[in-house]
Amino acid sequence: METLLNVKGLKTYFFTEAGVVKAVDGVDFQVGKDEAVGLVGESGSGKTVTGLSVLRIVPRPGRILAGTIMFEGEDLLAKSEEEMRRIRGAKIAMTFQDPTTSLDPLYTIGNQLVEVIREHDKELSKKEALEQAMKLLEMVGISEPELRIRAYPHELSGGMKQRIAIARALASRPILLFADEPTTNLDVTVQAQVLELLEELREKLKMSLVMITHDMGIIAETTQRVQVLYAGMVAEVAETRSIFKRPRHPYTEALLQAVPRIDHRKELKVIPGNIPNLIDPPSGCRFHPRCPYAKEICWKKIPTLNPVDDDHLVACHLWQDLSLTGA
Amino acid sequence: MQRETKTESVAPSKRDVVDVRRRGASQWAVAWRRFKRNKAGLAGFFIILFYFFIALTSPWLAPYPPRSFQALYEGEAGQPPSWKHPFGTSRAGLDVYSEVLHGTRGDLYVGVGATLVSIAIGMIIGALAGYSRGTGSDILLMLSQVFYTIPLLPLILLFARVFSVLVAKGFGLTLILILLGVFGWSTISFIVRGEILRVRELDFVQASRALGASRWQIIFRHIIPNILTPVIVTATLLIAGNILTEVVISFLGFGDVNTSTWGITIEEGITYMRTEWWTPVFPGLATLFAVLGFNLVGDGLSDALNPRLRD
Repeated sequence: METLLNVKGLKTYFFTEAGVVKAVDGVDFQVGKDEAVGLVGESGSGKTVTGLSVLRIVPRPGRILAGTIMFEGEDLLAKSEEEMRRIRGAKIAMTFQDPTTSLDPLYTIGNQLVEVIREHDKELSKKEALEQAMKLLEMVGISEPELRIRAYPHELSGGMKQRIAIARALASRPILLFADEPTTNLDVTVQAQVLELLEELREKLKMSLVMITHDMGIIAETTQRVQVLYAGMVAEVAETRSIFKRPRHPYTEALLQAVPRIDHRKELKVIPGNIPNLIDPPSGCRFHPRCPYAKEICWKKIPTLNPVDDDHLVACHLWQDLSLTGA
Repeated sequence: MQRETKTESVAPSKRDVVDVRRRGASQWAVAWRRFKRNKAGLAGFFIILFYFFIALTSPWLAPYPPRSFQALYEGEAGQPPSWKHPFGTSRAGLDVYSEVLHGTRGDLYVGVGATLVSIAIGMIIGALAGYSRGTGSDILLMLSQVFYTIPLLPLILLFARVFSVLVAKGFGLTLILILLGVFGWSTISFIVRGEILRVRELDFVQASRALGASRWQIIFRHIIPNILTPVIVTATLLIAGNILTEVVISFLGFGDVNTSTWGITIEEGITYMRTEWWTPVFPGLATLFAVLGFNLVGDGLSDALNPRLRD
């Protein structure tokens, strides 16, 4: 598969008053053309910051310190801010978690769609842009777009707002979309609709998708490949099928076991402890304080990514000795 | 919640469709609808409207020009209210009714003008303090706190005296306007700083950046409009405060004796209050209702614009 995005050794740190938070600490990450990749991990694992780093919109006091972000053969980190601005939205776009705040409450839906459409196509008249906005609303399955286009965000439901946020992100037909927890704040029924919509649009628009989530269920439904992040580092990369069948990293196993399942009526396993303090992360493998299999080597040495097979990598010292259960 | 999931389905109910058409409800339309329901706020609104009408038409409404001692020459100084002089005349021969009408123009000019100056300064300093981080932000915040804590009235009085050369040249009211504006911006800057810190973290700002909006587009199109509501509320209350302070300054004898203001008339009449009550009382009442009006509108707006009090 042709590689669209190739991130290597990305380090994004936040320079807070309390100290340097190593939010993303040497992450490698690839997305192929037309591929749907999952970025999974707990809150604070660095998955959102990875997305923000690719778009180069990491909020202060965060900074990208090292790495290369090759997109269509060019390094995004070497581009000027003005060049980046023309890539954002037009080539790479991102939608955000909370649909209630991801639209500006002061403007109508139409107004906000037109803003993005004309940002990247300044020739377009307002009327033409409005027509395009209408088509976008139809595309994301909004009924009666001629009415909704005049509505304000507070007049719409959460699901509709999320659809419109997606429409906004797709306004200039990007070839890569980061969807940051697109369903977290939605009702379960609406969640399924939004996921279906994203999957449908990805195929229709021949777009690559990065699904950022903490929910292994969503990963299973929408992605072909998955990358598990823990405390700013890659824990495991594999095809979605194989990771569910046979996880190689204890953290992945723990994530899978934290998903409720109707067919096994056993108690849900939670991962003990919290994501570590990223100002002063644990030595060696960052997961070792919470890992049930940890041995001496785990806190002495930082594990590297080892190939299990062609497209399965794991950052665990003990992977060869462990036999982990999948879902 | 039930209705919301309903609109999600393919065909929304008739009621929703009608709703959208009828209201086309922007935030401002919603706020106005709620403001209208607030009786006190609405009363304040009409009081203010009335004052603005007087201020605009006072040259035609008032029987005498500003600072005219005509009554003295007509032998009618120090008379109680009558048909010819509805609010009476002062001992010096001013027609109090005319002075109150002319004073409306002067006091609204100072009240509104000083507030605009404060908003301009407060927005710039607050925005810089909210946008920059580190030492710059700390210095600006400290500056705001200094202006917030120092007692302003003595300072303003001092400056009014120091610049009295200007006062003599007829810049009197404008000088007071500028002084009030320059010393009164700290509350606005606190609010703007706080609001910017809040709004800049909201998802729609980040989302706009992610879709290629420039920094200036984000500031002018998304951030500033979203912080305006608390600024408007504070500004309304600030107008009331500024009018009151102007009256106090004039009352203390630091005002401009060549321009009609309520404070000047009160000051001139207070000595003879016992025998000629009408000279200070009518401009006093004018001040009272003006301040009341702006305060009522301020409170009404603050209720109407408060998202936590959604109906």
